[in-house]
Amino acid sequence: MGGFGDPPGVPIMKIGFWGVRGSIPAPGPATVRYGGNTACVSLRPDAAGKDGRLIILDCGTGARNLGIGLMEGAFGKGGGEASILLSHAHWDHIQGFPFFVPLYQPGNKFHIFGGAKSSAMLEGILEGQMAPQYFPVQTLKNMGATIDIVAIAEGKTFEVERCQVRARMNPHGRAGALAFRIEEGGRTVVYASDAGYAAGGPPADSIELYRGADVLIHDSTYTPEDKKRYADRGYSSVEDAVAAAIAAQVKRLVLFHYDQDYADADVDALCARGRRLLDERGGRDIELIGAVEGSTLDV
Amino acid sequence: MRVRFWGVRGSLPVPGAKTERYGGNTSCVEVRSAAGTRVVVDAGTGIRKLGKELAGEGEAGRARVHLLISHTHWDHIQGLPYFAPLYQRGNKMTVYARKRDDLHLQAVFASQTHDPYFPVPFAEADAAIEFTELTDAAKFSIDDVKVACARLNHPYIATAYRLTVDGASVVYVSDTAPFSDILFEDEFVARPPSPGAELPAKDRQKLARMREGVVRLCEGADLVIYDTMFTPEDYQRIPHYGHSRPMDAVDICGEAGATRLALFHHAPERTDAEVDAILAETRATAARSSRKLDVVAAYEGLEVELGKG
Repeated sequence: MGGFGDPPGVPIMKIGFWGVRGSIPAPGPATVRYGGNTACVSLRPDAAGKDGRLIILDCGTGARNLGIGLMEGAFGKGGGEASILLSHAHWDHIQGFPFFVPLYQPGNKFHIFGGAKSSAMLEGILEGQMAPQYFPVQTLKNMGATIDIVAIAEGKTFEVERCQVRARMNPHGRAGALAFRIEEGGRTVVYASDAGYAAGGPPADSIELYRGADVLIHDSTYTPEDKKRYADRGYSSVEDAVAAAIAAQVKRLVLFHYDQDYADADVDALCARGRRLLDERGGRDIELIGAVEGSTLDV
Repeated sequence: MRVRFWGVRGSLPVPGAKTERYGGNTSCVEVRSAAGTRVVVDAGTGIRKLGKELAGEGEAGRARVHLLISHTHWDHIQGLPYFAPLYQRGNKMTVYARKRDDLHLQAVFASQTHDPYFPVPFAEADAAIEFTELTDAAKFSIDDVKVACARLNHPYIATAYRLTVDGASVVYVSDTAPFSDILFEDEFVARPPSPGAELPAKDRQKLARMREGVVRLCEGADLVIYDTMFTPEDYQRIPHYGHSRPMDAVDICGEAGATRLALFHHAPERTDAEVDAILAETRATAARSSRKLDVVAAYEGLEVELGKG
């Protein structure tokens, strides 16, 4: 917002939203305000970006625009380095990867973390998307950048871009999706996309992962009514997101991963519903934000 | 026959205000004969909206879809898992694409919906799905629609289709590079050819034959839908990505005596204003030739009626 800038000695994390949609990109006039690209969020542990550290959460089609912007800096000269955390490998969380331009610049370095039984299996999953029948580049090895791929052990804390990260597998239909808690210098951001809790709502160990976060970016695919209709798909309703935020006593809740058929007016209504539910259920102090493609958020 | 454009974009879907008019969904074109035969060419993200229409059109449980696939790069198949008629018992779909040496067509689609990429495996779809593999120059009929094929010049090889019914023909030519500087087969082409480099005679002859095949396929067509993703500058820079310029399409249409051309497979970075400019320029080029050629830049929602009504 401009003004006087950051107070001295108080580092600020900066979150960037590049894709906020679930399942499949939804182009068209009806989604222009919130955006139609699939899941991709950037996190700069140092908001000014002076030290260059960058964490990327998921690689849906939103990753394309993030990549184009990054090429104007160190990544354009082959001097960029970033870590990519993948919640899971459903298409809407990886389909922007082949179109993330910094991966094609020799010299750039990427560390990819995701859930799989082994690092080799995770590499195989990403190679599967690049295979010649699907994509002309044919393999990760033709991309140019240096890429290392590491499977994450659930529950253990590990270091990513000098931040402490802990992951937990949330239920997501037949599969699971990792939620990430990212901490540095007393600031905490949690990313929990594609969370399909059982009927009782978020389980205790999910709440424990989200506990006290400054920002909780949470799956909010559906209205409570649509969630009932599509319960087997493994997504949260805005009601689930609100329940998680209140139970974990987070400061800010960001609604994320909207259904592909929700027009801007529907998402407006979803956000209003979330606000109302927070107020009614003891979350009056929690700020609610509907994620908007192209926007940023300081922590 | 009626031709409807559901997705006109190449590479990947591009939502946003700058692509609102032409549309951001990837390749999908529907052709419907007067008798009701429905042929769909490619299954980019545009097919999702067609699927919604079919599911709600009173065809639920008895929809019959013939899906011709130009090639299986993502932007031509990524909408298929979101095609609602697949999940309705009673519907039938036949998928056609070029036969490959290394993989059966069914395997290509099965792994698209396999764990961990998608929650519902193809094998569990409720519709009856068949796969038909094609040769490069196949000719066959789908009910009242006659189909002819030609090979295209694209990494890992693509197929062009001519559909003839109701006294009219539409030809779908996407994706393809021009037939001059690189012969694309199954190998990865890492960098552009050096300027002025001569192709081996064998490659030149193969490309000339391929081009001839495409011109013949477009002969007298009422509408040619052509991959014109590249500007001349793009082609100078990245000819090894395997796409054409509007002038390549105008040349082919001119030689084939086709009467209408739809510019198609717009680049993801192309804004609506840029597509407008490319269209104006291409119309000017077409107007200078001796044959009459109507040019349109395909947009999502465009409908064209051809032949006897």
